[in-house]
Amino acid sequence: MRFTDGVDRRTMLKIGAAASMATLAGSWVRNAKATADGTLTVALTDNPVTCDPINMSSHDSMIISQTIWENLLEFDVDGVLKPQLAQALPEVSADKLVYTFDLRDDVVFHNGQPMTAEDVKYSFEYMLDPAHKASRRPIFNRLSHVEIDSPHRVRVVLKEPYSPWVYFLTKHMGIWPKGSRDELGEDHFKMSPAGVGTGPGMFEEWKPNDYVSLVRNPNYWQKDKPSWDRLVVKIVPEDASRVAYLLTGDIDLMGAPPARDFAALKKRDGVEGETRGTFGGWTVFLMNNKRPPFDDVNFRKALAHAVDRETIAKRIYYGLVEKSAIPAPASSWWFNAEADKSLDYDLDKAKFYLKKSKYAEGAKFELMTNAVPYLLDAKDCVVFLQSEFAKIGVTVDLRLAERAVISPAMLKGNYEAMFRNIMSPGEATYFLSQNFLPDQFMSKVSGFQHPRVVELMKIVFAENEQDKLKPVFDELMQLLADESPFVWVGYFNATNLWRERVKDFKASRGLTMNVRDVALG
Amino acid sequence: MGSLFLRRLGFSIFALLIVSLLLFVLTRSIPDSPARIVLGDEATDAQIAEFDREHGLDLPIVAQYGIWLETLALTGDFGRSFTTSLEMNEQIADTFPVTMEIVFIAFIVATIVSVALGALSAFYRDSVVDYAARLIAVLGVSIPGFWLALILILAFAVERSWFPPGGYTSISEGLVPHLRSIALPCFCLSIFYLAVITRMTRSSLLEVLNQDYMRTARASGLSGRRYLVYAMRNALLPVVTIAGVSFGHMFGWALIIEQIFNIGGMSRALLTAINQRDYFMVQTVVMMFTIVFVLANLVADMINAWLNPRLAAAS
Repeated sequence: MRFTDGVDRRTMLKIGAAASMATLAGSWVRNAKATADGTLTVALTDNPVTCDPINMSSHDSMIISQTIWENLLEFDVDGVLKPQLAQALPEVSADKLVYTFDLRDDVVFHNGQPMTAEDVKYSFEYMLDPAHKASRRPIFNRLSHVEIDSPHRVRVVLKEPYSPWVYFLTKHMGIWPKGSRDELGEDHFKMSPAGVGTGPGMFEEWKPNDYVSLVRNPNYWQKDKPSWDRLVVKIVPEDASRVAYLLTGDIDLMGAPPARDFAALKKRDGVEGETRGTFGGWTVFLMNNKRPPFDDVNFRKALAHAVDRETIAKRIYYGLVEKSAIPAPASSWWFNAEADKSLDYDLDKAKFYLKKSKYAEGAKFELMTNAVPYLLDAKDCVVFLQSEFAKIGVTVDLRLAERAVISPAMLKGNYEAMFRNIMSPGEATYFLSQNFLPDQFMSKVSGFQHPRVVELMKIVFAENEQDKLKPVFDELMQLLADESPFVWVGYFNATNLWRERVKDFKASRGLTMNVRDVALG
Repeated sequence: MGSLFLRRLGFSIFALLIVSLLLFVLTRSIPDSPARIVLGDEATDAQIAEFDREHGLDLPIVAQYGIWLETLALTGDFGRSFTTSLEMNEQIADTFPVTMEIVFIAFIVATIVSVALGALSAFYRDSVVDYAARLIAVLGVSIPGFWLALILILAFAVERSWFPPGGYTSISEGLVPHLRSIALPCFCLSIFYLAVITRMTRSSLLEVLNQDYMRTARASGLSGRRYLVYAMRNALLPVVTIAGVSFGHMFGWALIIEQIFNIGGMSRALLTAINQRDYFMVQTVVMMFTIVFVLANLVADMINAWLNPRLAAAS
């Protein structure tokens, strides 16, 4: 049936066309690119939960806390411990219990108040007080108290030797004015920390799910820094959207680009990129040693030999993971090449150890991983592992789960196996002590305990010099290779892309982007 | 009509209560405390237990629900997130208008275009216009929204710079930048519903046009314009029902659209809240969506009753 009377065809078509074109309103207008002003815009994947360094859990979001607050020492982008608010690295007493810091005398807080030893003492005591529920307090629980020698000299006193704490503070501490926590309250530090830091950026605004902005600290003690006037940390969870923002110039710098696109993206006009190994980012196959079949060391070693780390690093993660069979990055000083080689990819050895185990006829277990990627997507990798283990007669059931399910299952030991990418401060001991010493927050992840590991870690904690630590770590690495409580695949890289107007940026071996030292072209 | 409205309203309030209770049970069925997000993985069991006690998470779920409902009913306060410390009412004020605007524009565009296309398609059955409309409808239901969004960003933001690649520009920053920021999201959100409503309009109108009473109306000399209105009024009943449901569903699809276009609306806030186990935010957003969904269906029912008075009389 045709309709021709009353409303003619031309009129109807005009109405339809006009309505359709309404959906494209504005499409004729060209987009103005982000102008080369003094704003540095950085894209992150995660919405931060807090700005407060003592409760910050996301290493990405630490760009905010580390730009607002500073510490006595810093872990620089090359992974070297350097003085920050202290004038030099600390003097350590012979018994390794007292760390003496000489403070800079030219540092002022964002509120204009000069920083003194009183502020340092107050900051540490606040964090160490269990009443204040700092989530990072447990990693500092070997610290006793802080003593003041002079307005610019403090001594941090430990209950027992514990050398790695100076690394931990670079990520999980900050110095704020004396009395500020009590005066301003927790929410101030969590959501709008104006006036309480010493860093290059001063808090301006936090719009949840959108951005956090900081403005340049005009009184920053490093007089020529930062070179930006405003720092906008924009939350862009989608990989494709983050890349689009970078290509259009709407952001200047991004973390966690899609692994498969990184090489092509950094060749695009106007885009630069870098990927560098981190010192604390485990790409790891976690096993619950308390549960079969992982209660047999030969079975664990069979799996360790059945993992083709080279293929995972090069083909699945496109070179953004540095392979290592032990808990040490190949580029680190504590890497033991022999221990690493003792777990080489060899299916014959894998079959040999499987035959030696009480699961000689094969075994079956559930392998969990994150449904939503954290740091790097693990889904392709677990499918590859499933096929690798099948070659030696081990059956793997894959299960994807949300972080809300997977993290508690891991920490409580309510799982069989997991594949994860997890990050720690960039030094040798954090994951080792948390996983393999008794009564730590990750002790139940493996359930593995070994008296020699405890002895070796105690020696490590009591020593500060790498030359003396190296043989201890060599033994520790070989022991962990022999016992294989986990199957280490490697260390993931810190990978960044940025627009060419951003000068002097380097991917940080601590993963968190450092924007203090960049210049804007 | 009044009786129908009261009955539907009563049912809507009942549905809201059921949804709110289910929300409470489901959000608290997650096998870990939100303290793990707030305090970090290193938090001890004692710290987590203390956090739960301070925030009432150690109470039975029914008791928690009762406290929340009482506060909401008496003060209109959705509460405060213990994950982010943000006031929920402020969050609603910030994010709901953004999502509402995108969904509303997408809905209006989808409805107007689809009814026009569907009508043209039916009136000019088996013509080029009909084939074109049907092709658009098939493409609209076949193309995944997230894929279309990525392609549009690539084509019109990255390669041609006609639109921004994402983000929401407030109208206070200028009408043109504002429209440019929402054009692609609205288009992507509308295209599926445009296709669905087009197909529904066409099939419904074809059915009506083949009825005896339409032939009688035509034979009795009804003018073209009045004939069109007469046919459309009868054909729009199922279209209005589908449109009402679509409006509610659009809030769900907005979750993907806001995520891809990086728009800080309510759907995106929901996704973040789920990842952060932010119970209050999840409850608040889902309740708001449920209210919108229920209201949209209530309005659709009322429009249908107006279009067809027999519905109101039957009630």
